[in-house]
Amino acid sequence: MNCQEALVHLYEYLDRELTPDDERRVREHLTACPPCDDRFDVEQAFLRFVEARCRAHGAPPELRRRILQDLFDA
Amino acid sequence: MDPASRVPGPASPDSDRRARFEREMLPHLDALYRVALRLTGGSAADADDLVQETMLKAYRGLDGFTPGTNAKGWLLTILRHAFINEYRRRSRRPETMDLDTAEAIAAFPEEGLPDPRERFFDGIVDEALLRAVDQLPEAFREAVVLSDIEGLNYQETAQVLGIPVGTVKSRLFRGRRLLKGRLYRYAVEMGYVKKGVT
Repeated sequence: MNCQEALVHLYEYLDRELTPDDERRVREHLTACPPCDDRFDVEQAFLRFVEARCRAHGAPPELRRRILQDLFDA
Repeated sequence: MDPASRVPGPASPDSDRRARFEREMLPHLDALYRVALRLTGGSAADADDLVQETMLKAYRGLDGFTPGTNAKGWLLTILRHAFINEYRRRSRRPETMDLDTAEAIAAFPEEGLPDPRERFFDGIVDEALLRAVDQLPEAFREAVVLSDIEGLNYQETAQVLGIPVGTVKSRLFRGRRLLKGRLYRYAVEMGYVKKGVT
C-alpha cells in the first residue's frame, strides 16, 4: 500500500470501518511511513478532541424529572 | 376472587412497560439531549421540547421496538423525524449556509493541524467548538454529531439519517474538513496559531 492508498482509507481506518485485512494493510503502511503516521495521528487527535469536548455535558436533571413525571404521574 | 389480589403488582402490563422504558430508553437521554441541542442550533428550550416529545413518542410506540436491537438508533430516528416534521417547519431559523458556499470557504491547510497540537486544542473553548458545530450545514452537522460525538457507526448513522453508507462517508469527510477549517480560523483570530502554519 502506498501513501495515497492509505490516505483514501484515512477515516475508514480511524472509524474502525475497514475489513480486518484492509485495516492490517493500512497499519503496516503507517508503521513504515512516519509522515502518514503523523497525519493519521493528527486526525485521530482531532476526532478525540471533538468527541471528548462535545460529550462533556448531558441532559439537565430537571428534564429527566419532567419526562418521568409527564409519562408516569399524569 | 379477593379484589385485593387484583391490585397491579410488579408484573402488571403498565409497570412492565415502565420498567422496559426506564431500562432500555432512559439511559440514552443524555445522547438525545446532546443531539437535540445541536439540531436546534444550541437552543436549550427547543432541545428540551424536542427530547420530551421524542420520549413521549418512544413510550407510546414502545411495542414497535424490538428488544435487544439498537435502542439509541431507534430513539435518534424518532428525534430526527420530530425535528424535521414539527420543529424545523415552525422554526424561522434559515439553513445556516448552503453546502457549496460552506465548502468554498473551508480554507484550511490540507495537511493536518498546526503545531503544537496541544496548544491548538487547549486554546479552543467548548463554546467555540459547539458554535462551530452548530454552524455546519445541517446535512453535515447531523452526520458529524451522530458519528463523531455520539459514536454511531456508518451503518447506524445511515439508518438514522435514511441515506446510503457512501453518503454518510462523504458527509463526514466534508463536515470534518469544514469543522477543522472553522476551528483553525478561530485559533488564528484568537492568536493561538500563526496564519499559514501547517
